[in-house]
Amino acid sequence: MAIAEPVARRALRTTSRRKTRNLERKASVAAASLFGVVTLAALLAPVLSPDNPLMPAGAPLLGPGKGGFLLGSDSIGRDVLSRVLYGMRTSWFAALGVIALGLLIGGVIGLVAGATGGWVDNVLMRITDAFLALPAPVLAIAVVAALGPSLLHTLVAVSIVWWPFYARIVRGEIRNLAARPHVEAAKLAGAGRLRIAVRHLLPGAVPAALVTASLDIGNLVLTLAGLSFLGLGQSAPAAELGADTARNLSFLLQDWWVPVMPGIGVLVLAFIGNIAGDGVRNLIEPD
Amino acid sequence: MHLAFGPAAEKTVTDPGASTSEAQAIEVASIEDLHVTFRRSGKDIAALRGVSLDIRRGEILGLVGESGSGKSVLGLALLGLLDARADVRGAVRVAGRDMAHCDQSARREVRRVHLGAVFQDPMTSLNPTMRVGRQVAEVAGSKDEAERLLGAVGIPDPASRMDAFPHELSGGLRQRVMIAMAVAGNPDLIVADEPTTALDVTVQAQVLTLLRSLRDEIGCSVLLITHDLGCAAQVADRVAVMYAGRLAELGSSAEVLARASHPYTLALLRSRLSLASDRTTSLLALPGEVPNPAAPEPGCAFAPRCDLAGPACLDAPPPPLEVRPGHLSACVVPAVEVTSRLAEVVRAAVVPHPEREPHNDDVVTLYRVQKSFRVGAGRTTRRLQALRGVNLTVGRGESVALVGESGSGKSTLLRIVAGLESFDGGKLEVAGPDCPQMVFQDAGASLTPWLTVGEIIGERLRGISRAERAAKVAQALAHVGLPAEVAKAKSAQLSGGQRQRVSLARATVVAPSILLCDEPTSALDVSLAASVINLIGGLRRELGMSVLFVTHDLSVARVVADRIAVMYLGRIVEVGDADQITSQPVHPYTQALMSAVPDMGREPVALRGEPASPLAPPAGCAFHSRCPKAIDDCGDALLDVRLTAVDRSAHHLAACIRATA
Repeated sequence: MAIAEPVARRALRTTSRRKTRNLERKASVAAASLFGVVTLAALLAPVLSPDNPLMPAGAPLLGPGKGGFLLGSDSIGRDVLSRVLYGMRTSWFAALGVIALGLLIGGVIGLVAGATGGWVDNVLMRITDAFLALPAPVLAIAVVAALGPSLLHTLVAVSIVWWPFYARIVRGEIRNLAARPHVEAAKLAGAGRLRIAVRHLLPGAVPAALVTASLDIGNLVLTLAGLSFLGLGQSAPAAELGADTARNLSFLLQDWWVPVMPGIGVLVLAFIGNIAGDGVRNLIEPD
Repeated sequence: MHLAFGPAAEKTVTDPGASTSEAQAIEVASIEDLHVTFRRSGKDIAALRGVSLDIRRGEILGLVGESGSGKSVLGLALLGLLDARADVRGAVRVAGRDMAHCDQSARREVRRVHLGAVFQDPMTSLNPTMRVGRQVAEVAGSKDEAERLLGAVGIPDPASRMDAFPHELSGGLRQRVMIAMAVAGNPDLIVADEPTTALDVTVQAQVLTLLRSLRDEIGCSVLLITHDLGCAAQVADRVAVMYAGRLAELGSSAEVLARASHPYTLALLRSRLSLASDRTTSLLALPGEVPNPAAPEPGCAFAPRCDLAGPACLDAPPPPLEVRPGHLSACVVPAVEVTSRLAEVVRAAVVPHPEREPHNDDVVTLYRVQKSFRVGAGRTTRRLQALRGVNLTVGRGESVALVGESGSGKSTLLRIVAGLESFDGGKLEVAGPDCPQMVFQDAGASLTPWLTVGEIIGERLRGISRAERAAKVAQALAHVGLPAEVAKAKSAQLSGGQRQRVSLARATVVAPSILLCDEPTSALDVSLAASVINLIGGLRRELGMSVLFVTHDLSVARVVADRIAVMYLGRIVEVGDADQITSQPVHPYTQALMSAVPDMGREPVALRGEPASPLAPPAGCAFHSRCPKAIDDCGDALLDVRLTAVDRSAHHLAACIRATA
């Protein structure tokens, strides 16, 4: 009995360690799949919403749970839940759109700069630095002033300041990879510049870019909501979380749910974005 | 001076000159049936599988093994530095303490008083933000003692070096600083883990000589961990050969060299290159690879690669048995039989090289090629003169080796021929329709990690159908001795030897006119290096390629090349037939390189100093500052040393005014 004990304990310890590792991986997969869940919810907003977000559906300013409104109704009797769901849809796809555009532009510029090197690299990176120096709100005000208020114009402004991050990351990864012997070996094997860039360099930069992008989603949801809050986003009457919070701020004391519910929507999106981003990072770069 | 009371005080009395056999029998450390198992990504990795070993007072014990043999783990266990998560069974006794199981403060105490350590890379083991004087003083106790130690380990002008940062010192000096720290406080035992692997050959000989003289002076024991049996046998009193976490053979250096009894030791000795290796036949390579430590064999770990393996080998790992007094060998085959039976196998395995038909045309011609790099930026910009006018030709089907220490420009020359680097002056002609192919030192890094082997090799085959390409890839893989399935694998799934074979397959899938090899064997284990050298030689003869082979090791150059060119600081100082260069070297630098080659049973002859900086090559003959034969004229700035014929054949040229005048 006494002899068998330590062995049994050791066996137990190793299995529990293996279990922890499996659990960690499962948690990461679960977190990363939240991206899918939120995207699905955003896609299905028209199905999930009990009412039309733009039309009054009952008495105004009813509290949560009253009159059939789960999250209450706003000043003209629209369903707050439906407005939050549609608002999430707008914010989520706007964030994904900005990131996709940023990855595309930043990826191409970073790849060209990193793979070519020399003066091309210098010129492209100085241009990138110049864009990096632009303050997003000021640029958004300028763009909206020039083109008129609209969500699309705000997205254009945010995209202009967003891609440089990706350009820098991709360029850095590509520079590191370009110094590896496998690129020289590919050169000797007769691969051209384009082939080397696309086949021997780009795939190596994808993981780092994806990790940054997935961690950025929450950040971007907050930025866009902030800009909408300042009146630089979606124009009324369309639902947008930041804009809904800002417009209804005057109800905060008596009818708190009208501005607070969209604010919680922002919180939830940003939170999910961050933990899902962490999940993606753990899966791509384990330790 | 370190003073201690109690048992440790004994060591101050130890006088190596007067040591009797009785005094030598006292062990400074003893390892008893040590098992160490690590857990990595869900797999048990058995690093040590039952090792018993004593280290005697005042001896140098060479611990020899290939990568994965567990030799470094043994060193860490002695120092009590094993990962706390490792599963350790058995005992590691140093100064009466069990370093594997006692608590951390006791281990620290033993390390401080009784142990010293020297690691492979002094750049990473020294603190880069601290002046070396302070680092040594930390262990030595005072600045004066630190300065004395720096002088004792042969650092010239120690007073001024005290204020240097590690990056301001050369590799050899850094390793001397590490040794100074290791001997501070007169330890009983110094654990030196591959202390010379990162150093140039000439500096390696200096460091080995230093270790030996330190042992003679202070009477400490040294555990010299190395992958090179020759290096160990040269300085060690006893040699322990490890394989797959177990001791294969243990005995005095002379005994192991002269009467090796384990088939693995014999295979290592056979595949090891020396200046006496037979150039006219293929090398006796050891087949197979080092076993996977995650899935150890139930029987003798060496059995799958052993020519003598029989059914008795597969049951249980054989324990080390005494074959002669003090000489252990872990083999079930009786020692007398091993040698005679292996000799028969060996005689059958030797394949003589076919005669090479001479061709008159040259594949590569270099004429006064110059290259310099800009170092630093702005005002501190300096020119590093990598090549200072190099003339060289490589004939069709000929193999030429470029030999030199780091900074000699040999790799730059290779990269210029490959077209990967431009050159500043001179002429370069490379014949042939296709560009030269290259085999890199780090084969793993030369394979794109996310592409499969098939895709990587297939990159050189354009404009043919997919099926044809797959067939050619399989054929190329078969040529280098790999199965066709390897085409589907990625480089991370392959072993080091397989990767080097894959990169050879890529280079030869379409035979190039010239194959450039940049130290392809220096990162490989001894047993694999010979098979890669055989492979390169075989491919060269079969495909009629020329080979330009860069190496720092003259014994490698001698077997791979028809001609050898020795480089020093961007110039060729001697060139000639491989036999001529290695049997009658004329240039003092070549002679120094020859004597620095670790060879068994011969004292290493150390060349003083280290290669001068290519940022400021000495005037006149660049070698005169280290040359044992230099006269005043050698440093004359107006002196133009040219390659001059040594004999009438004009085949053997040397650039030395003393040798050819």
